[in-house]
Amino acid sequence: MGAMTVDRADGRSANQLRPLACSRNILHRAHGSARWSQGDTIVLAAVYGPKAGTKKGENPEKASIEVIWKPKTGQIGKLEKEYEMILKRTLQSVCLMTIHPNTTTSIIVQVFGDDGALLPCAINASCAALVDAGIPLKHLAVAICCGLTEGGSVILDPTRAEEQKIQAFAYLVFPNSPLSVLPSAPSAEDDAPIENGIITSVTHGVMPVVEYFNCLERGRAACAKISEFHRRSLESQVPVVARKQTFEVLWWPHTLTAWPEFHGFACNLSEADVLTVACCCMDMPRT
Amino acid sequence: MEQRLASTWRMTVNERKFVETALASDLRVDGRRPFDYRRLTIKFGREDGSSEVQLGQTHVIGFVTSQLVQPYRDRPNEGILSIFTEFSPMADPSFEAGRPGESAIELGRVVDRGLRESRAVDMESLCVVAGKSVWSIRVDLHILDNGGNLIDAANIAALAALSTFRRPECTLGGENGQDIIVHDPEVMEPLTLIIHHLPIAVTFAFFSEGNIMVIDPTHKEEVVMGGRMTATVNSNGDVCAVQKAGGEGVTPNMIMQCLRIASMKAADITSKIKNAVETYNTERTLRKVKRHSLTVTHQVSVPDVIMKDKQADNIIGHQEEMIQHEPDRSSNCDDEMTVDTKTCIKTESNIRDRCTDPFVGGPSNWDPYLNKLSSNLVGKSQDLLGPLTISKEQEDESKSNIMAVKYSPEHATISSNSDTLGVSGPRQQTSDAKSLKDAVKSKARKKSKTSTSTS
Repeated sequence: MGAMTVDRADGRSANQLRPLACSRNILHRAHGSARWSQGDTIVLAAVYGPKAGTKKGENPEKASIEVIWKPKTGQIGKLEKEYEMILKRTLQSVCLMTIHPNTTTSIIVQVFGDDGALLPCAINASCAALVDAGIPLKHLAVAICCGLTEGGSVILDPTRAEEQKIQAFAYLVFPNSPLSVLPSAPSAEDDAPIENGIITSVTHGVMPVVEYFNCLERGRAACAKISEFHRRSLESQVPVVARKQTFEVLWWPHTLTAWPEFHGFACNLSEADVLTVACCCMDMPRT
Repeated sequence: MEQRLASTWRMTVNERKFVETALASDLRVDGRRPFDYRRLTIKFGREDGSSEVQLGQTHVIGFVTSQLVQPYRDRPNEGILSIFTEFSPMADPSFEAGRPGESAIELGRVVDRGLRESRAVDMESLCVVAGKSVWSIRVDLHILDNGGNLIDAANIAALAALSTFRRPECTLGGENGQDIIVHDPEVMEPLTLIIHHLPIAVTFAFFSEGNIMVIDPTHKEEVVMGGRMTATVNSNGDVCAVQKAGGEGVTPNMIMQCLRIASMKAADITSKIKNAVETYNTERTLRKVKRHSLTVTHQVSVPDVIMKDKQADNIIGHQEEMIQHEPDRSSNCDDEMTVDTKTCIKTESNIRDRCTDPFVGGPSNWDPYLNKLSSNLVGKSQDLLGPLTISKEQEDESKSNIMAVKYSPEHATISSNSDTLGVSGPRQQTSDAKSLKDAVKSKARKKSKTSTSTS
């Protein structure tokens, strides 16, 4: 299937990701904001918490999400609309849509730099911004881009130059790996759907089915790493008192709820409310 | 978004009264004096012509791009400068996506007038072939955070971006000497724009029937103010533009006083912009000439970035690892950081209030399939179809090592020394070894539990 060692322009190996950096709480007016960078691809996402009312076409029984994608320069065209749609659907599967019906949560994505893997970077940034805003989530969505070179080897996190050269690439979004705080592991059936699930997959170019599954494998392993980074970056900025309470929420391993601090809607939830929310998550059918 | 969705923020009567009463005693809500500017931070991105300006809580970014177009008929030998302002919905809940509102248009016009009419940017040098082909410079300003006084911040962002922008070199060639060849930036060094002077916009807000005047109003003061005036002056003392659109009437004496204050402030801000641009240019030349020297300098300056947090240790560890493990690319990813560190000292107090430290992770650690053992992979199986079988073999090999998922304890010890590239080799191996085993073990654990084959 070709050599394992692939020569990449920036000296990375086939399975090496670019340096990740995440900083949250950057903007003052927005309820939540996060800036995520993978190498030179930098995206800033801002979240405005639930506002009353939904748009015309949306279901008022559920909360709705609105995504606005702002490119670096130029008019908004079809590509931006496509990104908005993909981002919206991905985040809809991550957020708890039944908690605040008839509301709209707006997520605004601003591209600072585009050096390949723009959509995965935006998805990661949006999730971090949602956590920063205190919006209740089922789990995080962790995204990665896997490329397939002519030699048949899979490279992770290609740069823009690499994306243009390679035969095909896929943006893959997986749920983040759960962290079980209990000594006894949760049951296998609960684990299986979440862990092996793919939230989103967008492919460009032609690739054989076998190689696609290969990409999925690599992507999932890499996403485990990224979700670890995500968790650490979130934990490092949560104050100690709040961490104690989040411990209780994490008891159900499939729920990752940021402790609501001082933003928007979620700040009035008492501890009992949060635990109730977590219970509701467990009962909801997992798709 | 429809009208009913826009969350309109209304100022309470108490807040309004408070701001007005405080101003009557020469006090401002954020503790400034009436003629003080907020803290100004100018940062640049990786590419030429991208700037990020923070004026207090106001956050604006600017991008400059260029392309070859046909000139206007009445100006066949001049380039084209166009300014686009985006009031991003992330700046303020009342900003809506889509058509720009009147304040967005006003901002664009004020910035445009300051640059174009005063001939700050030399247009004739942008001409390539008169009447046929000229450079069109496009400035995109994105307002990210509305903390008040958007005009000043956007103007500074535009000036900073234009000062650092470089357009590609192009020559005439081809058979008949009429074809324009645009040279790649790697081949021929791109050129800067010729900027004659920097027109700085200074905004004044008037309260209580034009008696009280303050400079650089915040968002709350803007709601309360009775009138506003923006004076665009440069450091030579020339008035480039004055914009006072309605609002309270102001005596001519007050206007003259405003212009005097504006020229003082303009000199101040011009020097700040010039310093920031110079720093950026030196970083840029360093980046082009030597790639390795930056790693050493960066290790020294890393402690500057880290503030008083206890978690700083982890972050130092991660950053140093990132630097060490990516010698080639340190120039790429660290440039923004090196420029940041110089200006980061200014943002210290910001960081005390808000935890805005970027959390950086080491790149090469997160290699699910390790470099070191990949040679084994090559030896054992050429078949990429069976990554599961390969990982099981590795698991047998690495069973002896027990390792924790957390990186921080190990990395905190690593961070205690500041190392050169030479020592990074073995460290890279050990931390890579940890990462592989971690990945393999967790995969094996998952596979043993679920006992399903996913491929």
